[in-house]
Amino acid sequence: MAIGVPPAPAGARARDVVARWRTSIGIFVGTGLLYALSAIVEPQSLGKGALAAMWPFAAVLVLASLGQTLVVQQRGIDLSVPGFISLTVVLVTHLPNGSSSKLAGAVLLAYGVSIGAGLVSGLMVTKIGIPSIVQTLGMNAVLYGIDVGISNGTPTQTTTALQNFANGSALGIPVPLLVGLAAALVLELTIKRTSAGRRFEASGSSYAAGRAAGLHCDRHQIAAYIGAAVLYCTAGVMLAGIVTQPDAFSGDSYLLPSVAAVVLGGTSLLGGVGSVVASTGGAIFLSQLQQFVLTTGASAAVQNLVEAGALAVGVAVYGIRFRPGLLTSVVGRRPRRAPAASVRVAPSQPEPPPEVVRARYGATDGD
Amino acid sequence: MAETEPPVLRLLEVRKNFEGVAALKGVSFEARPGELHALLGENGAGKSTLMAIAAGSLVPDAGVVEVAGLSASSLTPLAARAEGLAIVYQHPALVPDLTVFENVSMALTASRSGLPRRRSRWVVEQLARAGCTAPLNARISSLGVVQRQLLEIAKAIASEPRILVLDEPTAALGADDTEILFGELRRLAASGCAVVYITHRLAEVRALCQRVTVLRDGEVRGTFEVDAIADAQILELIVGRAVTTTFPPKPDVRAEAEPVLAVDGLSGRGFHEVTMAASVGQIVGFGGIVGNGQGDVLRALAGLEPATGRVRIGGRRLRLGSPQAALRAGIVYLSPDRLNEGLFGALAVRENASVSVLGQFSQLGFVRRRAESSAVEAQREALALRTSSINANVLTLSGGNQQKVLIARALVNEGVRVVLADEPTQGVDVGARIEIYRILRQLADAGVAVVVLSSDVRELEGLCDVVYVYSAGSVVAELAGEAVRQDAMTEAMLTSTERRRAVVSRSLEGGPRRPFLRRVADGNYAAAVVIAAAVLVLGGYTDAHNSRFLTAFNLSSLTVLISSLAFIAMGQACVVMTGGIDLSVGPLAGLTVVVGSFFENSGKSWWECIGGFGVIFAVAIATGLFNGTMVRAAKFTPVAATLVTYIALQGVSLVLRPFQAGYIATSVLKVVNASIGDFAWAFLIALAAAVALEYGLRRRRWGLGLRAVGSDIGAAFRLGVRPTRSVIGAYVASSVLTAVGGVLLMAQVGVGDPTQGVSYTLASVTAVVLGGTSIFGGRGSFVGVVLGAVLVEELLNVTTFLGLSEAWQYWFQGVLVFVAVGIYTRAAGHGGRPSLRALRQLLATREEVAS
Repeated sequence: MAIGVPPAPAGARARDVVARWRTSIGIFVGTGLLYALSAIVEPQSLGKGALAAMWPFAAVLVLASLGQTLVVQQRGIDLSVPGFISLTVVLVTHLPNGSSSKLAGAVLLAYGVSIGAGLVSGLMVTKIGIPSIVQTLGMNAVLYGIDVGISNGTPTQTTTALQNFANGSALGIPVPLLVGLAAALVLELTIKRTSAGRRFEASGSSYAAGRAAGLHCDRHQIAAYIGAAVLYCTAGVMLAGIVTQPDAFSGDSYLLPSVAAVVLGGTSLLGGVGSVVASTGGAIFLSQLQQFVLTTGASAAVQNLVEAGALAVGVAVYGIRFRPGLLTSVVGRRPRRAPAASVRVAPSQPEPPPEVVRARYGATDGD
Repeated sequence: MAETEPPVLRLLEVRKNFEGVAALKGVSFEARPGELHALLGENGAGKSTLMAIAAGSLVPDAGVVEVAGLSASSLTPLAARAEGLAIVYQHPALVPDLTVFENVSMALTASRSGLPRRRSRWVVEQLARAGCTAPLNARISSLGVVQRQLLEIAKAIASEPRILVLDEPTAALGADDTEILFGELRRLAASGCAVVYITHRLAEVRALCQRVTVLRDGEVRGTFEVDAIADAQILELIVGRAVTTTFPPKPDVRAEAEPVLAVDGLSGRGFHEVTMAASVGQIVGFGGIVGNGQGDVLRALAGLEPATGRVRIGGRRLRLGSPQAALRAGIVYLSPDRLNEGLFGALAVRENASVSVLGQFSQLGFVRRRAESSAVEAQREALALRTSSINANVLTLSGGNQQKVLIARALVNEGVRVVLADEPTQGVDVGARIEIYRILRQLADAGVAVVVLSSDVRELEGLCDVVYVYSAGSVVAELAGEAVRQDAMTEAMLTSTERRRAVVSRSLEGGPRRPFLRRVADGNYAAAVVIAAAVLVLGGYTDAHNSRFLTAFNLSSLTVLISSLAFIAMGQACVVMTGGIDLSVGPLAGLTVVVGSFFENSGKSWWECIGGFGVIFAVAIATGLFNGTMVRAAKFTPVAATLVTYIALQGVSLVLRPFQAGYIATSVLKVVNASIGDFAWAFLIALAAAVALEYGLRRRRWGLGLRAVGSDIGAAFRLGVRPTRSVIGAYVASSVLTAVGGVLLMAQVGVGDPTQGVSYTLASVTAVVLGGTSIFGGRGSFVGVVLGAVLVEELLNVTTFLGLSEAWQYWFQGVLVFVAVGIYTRAAGHGGRPSLRALRQLLATREEVAS
């Protein structure tokens, strides 16, 4: 039956591809421009030492942003990023308490606890019906409860084994960055290429349509929370190795940047189709921006203002697409589609049959 | 008659284009006082555009508009309403989270007549006039379709309009209600009102109207005296010419064929004891007046609604209540709400078509893109799907082609055995409609059992081999072969035993009997009661363990802490009630402290101190305006918008005070921290503010507007709320209340510290949620929010008195939020998943697709 199907016009195909990748392209163009700007204005910000200091932290943000992307794609938002990261840091530093031999057990425990907490969040959101923002707010507090219970809020020296691992490099790339990029790549392939990933994306973009199409919407949502938990935990493990004496609240500084990275990556905060690669770009962009501003000698204050500005621009670029229905729902009609329908009828199409029209108007004469 | 009077509604040569596409090509239309004027036309003919222009919701590109003395330049929805224009929308303009009384009073305060003094009794009388029996204090979300439609009509009639426009008001109504409506319309016309009646039913035009105007393709095809024109002529005008094409031929009756779909005693919400069968090669029709259970049966078969009974597909028992099981059994459901439940609007044509059967194209879990594409391309060809490419976004297609994409979902499915099509041709232009009939017939010929639900008896007659007619949730007639005729179906619909109908429709309309817990939690103060009890129990327990807890010193310092959070949380609540969230409250409270540290120092003159407060509130108002504008004008999501502000405000605080500096004068501290008895006076003010705000929220127009916008922004707009004003106002209120909290915080910190305040963002959300305000917007209580703030601060406070570690503070907060929200969302039936609520609304308005 496929024989004789004319290929789509090149123009149309190109347009579709562009439309599909528009959001992802934006952040990479932006990141490229930022690097160009850095190279011209502040070459030191791209110096070897500067990059070596930046990349590991950028990698932690990449991992956190990937997790955030998963939850946002399933129409949620995750405020428990700090709890997961901080608790993981505490688990892998306080439990071994400097002894490298106990590290493996502690890391396993951290993953176990994280997966369990992710599962609980997923179940609460899907089965009990707690809104995502509230659930993750509560989960954050619970995780911090464990965190402070173990650590009493005090930092501990990290183990040498973890330190060596996180500060090592392979192929000239710092290990944390390698882990972050690998995670992004695996997720991207899974979501875009596997059938499970495609269903995940579809059911995230519309719960009602997903349910009617027979998708396991709840399972996809739960999977998002578990996947996010694993990623946050990985971020925490990395962070615990990068910093010599990480404190018990070190995850706090990753919540807002993770949301910002997702937004900059073009995933709508209302859920739906997004790109983990674009979120990775967003995280790298934010990290480099921080680096750039710091190198100029500006204070942390200026850094905040620049970040806010970048985020505002980012949102404004995508923002127009965020709620296409809002304006029209206010006006009470859909100017874009409704009138078009009557016009799109090609002239060659058959005229409306009287049966149809008569039926709809319940004509009574002439029977 | 009133022929000589000048028209009260006049549109002359009105043109309107949407993105280059002409919706109205120079339309002239007028309605005189005292006449009943019908407006007819196909979907997409321009009726709704015309009426939106008359209502002031749309501005025409060219032409003259005069509505009740207003010209195009001064015509806004509010002005038109004030001059006596009332509209009955096909999709009722009612706010689901507000009560019947609140909806009516909102609509009427903006109307010409306003509300009389003895409000509630008067409203009851008005509702009775239209036959609406809904209780005044019931939330709209608890009403059924018919009551909502009657209420929509009642509130229009009650405003004693000079012009009344009704858009297919009888779609959901039975014969009795229609008669009441017609009586009221005749009475209104007799008193001089111009009635414009948009409909699809010629019989109604004949029964009610004097004149009729026909619209086609954005042009007026003529205005006639109803008595002077025959139905056939009107139809010709609507369609364009007399034509002869019909439905695809029905094959010979294949009786006794093995049924693919066998339903036995299926019962569920809205239907009971349904028994039916669909055989190979048959198109089975579901007929009946809209809302008599036929749609619910289809949803139950698709696994979307719970049901009991026995359903067999090809002899195998189907597990009910599971969409996945239905899909595995080979059932494909085509939703009547294409845009929300049918299609994935964010995805391409290809992805929409293949989503249910990705496994067919997969190897080792990976989708083989080529196999997928060629399968969809093949269907594109077979369906004559008009799209630039299968990778185009599905929303770029016309309604008919969108429907074909849904049908493609059935065609690419190798295991398809049953297709359930709910109103497959609604909102579809006539050309595509014929093609859809052909495709459905081909599906049947290919051995698939096709079930078509339609509210259009002629469509059923032309298309179906067997028709089941529903009434009051049961099958009242099974017609087959020659008996599938329009008259037989109509007869079955109308002659089914009235008594049974009445009983069932009452139980449907009265809303399901809700469990006690849910009814309590549905009230506005359930959360407040629970939280107040928790505060007392916790306080009592702590006092029993440590007598120092209730000392004057602890109480006054605790109430100071509470009052900061209470004000900030009340601000947060304003935004949350509109369905948003304000993340920037924490940093704004911090900035307030920083700004104050420049003015409120010892050695400053009194006018500098006063001026300092002026600066603080100016900053707050500017912040609120900024947030609100980003959300409303720039269409940022609330999280994104206030996140930007969050980061920026932190930056500003750090710029102003890189280090701690600027000690607050003791005189200021004394005033702000003063106590009355054991309580800080600020706390008493917070309580008073909560009560005042609560009153406004329930009784004043701004309060209703706030909740209405959060509940359903489109309906709120049509009720006369100005959404932009409400939303921006909410953000400004949030910032101002936060500044008040910030001033109290300043008095606690005593120095300009740039790191203060940030934690209030999460704390305020916690307090708001604990107080029972719905995170989805539309519902809430300021009293509850203050109690939430009390509990949060009390929890932090008691841990020290109970000798618990710091970790307990977190534990308490976390667990409390879970438990509280879990109970409320469960009990209030919001079902957490926002889409469930949407689903429910969708069910209530299934007949309304594009028009």
